[in-house]
Amino acid sequence: MDLESLTIKDAIEGLKNKKTSIIDLVKSCFARIDKLNKKLNVFIELNEENAIKQAKAQDNDLVKAGKEIFNQKPLFGIPIAIKDLYSTENLRTTAGSNIINDYVPPFDATVVKKLKNAGAIILGKTNEDAWGHGSSGENSDHGPTKNPYDLERVPGGSSSGSAVAVRTNQCLMATGTDTGSSVRLPAAFCNLVGLKPTYGRVSRYGVIAMASSFDSVGHLTKTVYDSAKVLEITAGIDPYDATSVRKEVDHYTEFLEKPIKGLKVGIPKEYFVGGMDTKIEKLTREAIKIIEKLGAVIRDVSLPHTDYAMACYYILVPSEISSNLSKFDGIRYGSERETFGAEAKRRIILGTYTLSSGYYDAYYLKAAKVRSLIKQDFDNAFKDVDIIVAPTSPSLPFKIGEKANDPLQMYLSDIFVCPINIAGIPSLNVPCGFINNLPVGMQIIGPQFEERLLYQVGSAFESETQFYKVHPKI
Amino acid sequence: MITKKDILHVAKLAKLKLTEEEIEKYLSQLSAVVEYISKLNELDTENTVPVSHITGLTTVTEEDTKENKRQLSQSSALQNAKSTKNGFIKVKAIFSGE
Repeated sequence: MDLESLTIKDAIEGLKNKKTSIIDLVKSCFARIDKLNKKLNVFIELNEENAIKQAKAQDNDLVKAGKEIFNQKPLFGIPIAIKDLYSTENLRTTAGSNIINDYVPPFDATVVKKLKNAGAIILGKTNEDAWGHGSSGENSDHGPTKNPYDLERVPGGSSSGSAVAVRTNQCLMATGTDTGSSVRLPAAFCNLVGLKPTYGRVSRYGVIAMASSFDSVGHLTKTVYDSAKVLEITAGIDPYDATSVRKEVDHYTEFLEKPIKGLKVGIPKEYFVGGMDTKIEKLTREAIKIIEKLGAVIRDVSLPHTDYAMACYYILVPSEISSNLSKFDGIRYGSERETFGAEAKRRIILGTYTLSSGYYDAYYLKAAKVRSLIKQDFDNAFKDVDIIVAPTSPSLPFKIGEKANDPLQMYLSDIFVCPINIAGIPSLNVPCGFINNLPVGMQIIGPQFEERLLYQVGSAFESETQFYKVHPKI
Repeated sequence: MITKKDILHVAKLAKLKLTEEEIEKYLSQLSAVVEYISKLNELDTENTVPVSHITGLTTVTEEDTKENKRQLSQSSALQNAKSTKNGFIKVKAIFSGE
């Protein structure tokens, strides 16, 4: 078996048919990490000794229990990586920041616990924009992660290390968080499938908070099947997160083979106006043609408040950030507040300003009202169509440093993705081709809790196009 | 319009000590951002209800239980504290003796 370009599905087949072993899978990933980590800056912390020990023990369990073990533990022996924002018991967790550079959590985030219970093996913690604040990975206090398709370019953020780890076969799946773009943008820039689930579909407990009313706990994989498989494990109610929703979890993998004939797909006209790279627009329109060819009905829809989404987002999110980061006081644990990086300070100042006395009504309350208008836009559109398809990023992966001194330009990278977080709905990035050998992604957006539709359409599109097979030459 | 005085006031509220260089940088960068976010004023929201919870949950309750399987022990809850005493986090005094 070629261990270097595996999907979760391939790996499970390989283990069931004894074509590979768990220890070989894990060792193959660590060999890739050894080879690439210096070059790409993907992992902040490794869990090598424990992972190897666990792999050996699980190989023995597999011999004893046979392949039925996959019924109880669907990710048995699968090597994964965890974004550094997730608390991992006794494994250093810095949130990509220096202020808690020596923090070792005494507990696992609920999602980490669920993945461990499903048999997955954690290889390490991945680099990210500190606290999730960023669209490029450059705001990490541990230095930027590099895009494997072009080392001079950003891999997208904030789940930058997770994306590159999966894309370069240093693991088979990695977790991410998506508050405004942070799973979908790196997925688009690294030719991956990235899910931002419905707000509340996946527990946030133990994931260090960025903006609590937006944070969505997602993941990055090579294929749509792998993404659906992981969501079957991570989704569901958690008594430790009062915003998680008591709603039955679908068997997402069962929707992958369903034909999409007759499904109504909306194209939002506000996403195809100036400012977008014309080549990206052309590629997205070609992708929509493919979806039409597969039998879907394409319709124009309007999301009239799109132009206000970024402004709404950059009031509400920094406000919540300034509140969430106030607990890092440097008194009980962690370093002094001066240790915050430039972007964290920028957002704390902005958020404290918009929440401060005399400005609350003008900014926060106003933005909370506009949030309603943006949500209504989507509610109205979903009366006419089942899903919406739109580009993920208006530009190709940009050069490291290109936007570093212009935060507003950097924020505008999220223009097509942040409205989804404002509305609390799910969105799946799927690869939709290449321009100058750089990956381009497309979003499939659905109503709240309709992740199955995203997977159904994503899977049909992926079977037709198979862009996930285009690996970076590294 | 955001002013230097605003930045200093807000930094004090947020307990951030800023250098002169940082103050200048944030003043120019955040002026651009504040100008951008002010575009929301173009919208009439007089009769719009603000979002309080995006999936519409209200008053979430859980049953009272005696056991909490994920409860941390005192020692693990304190494992990251810089200084501890008798099972508590020890911090510098914040009030003077008077």
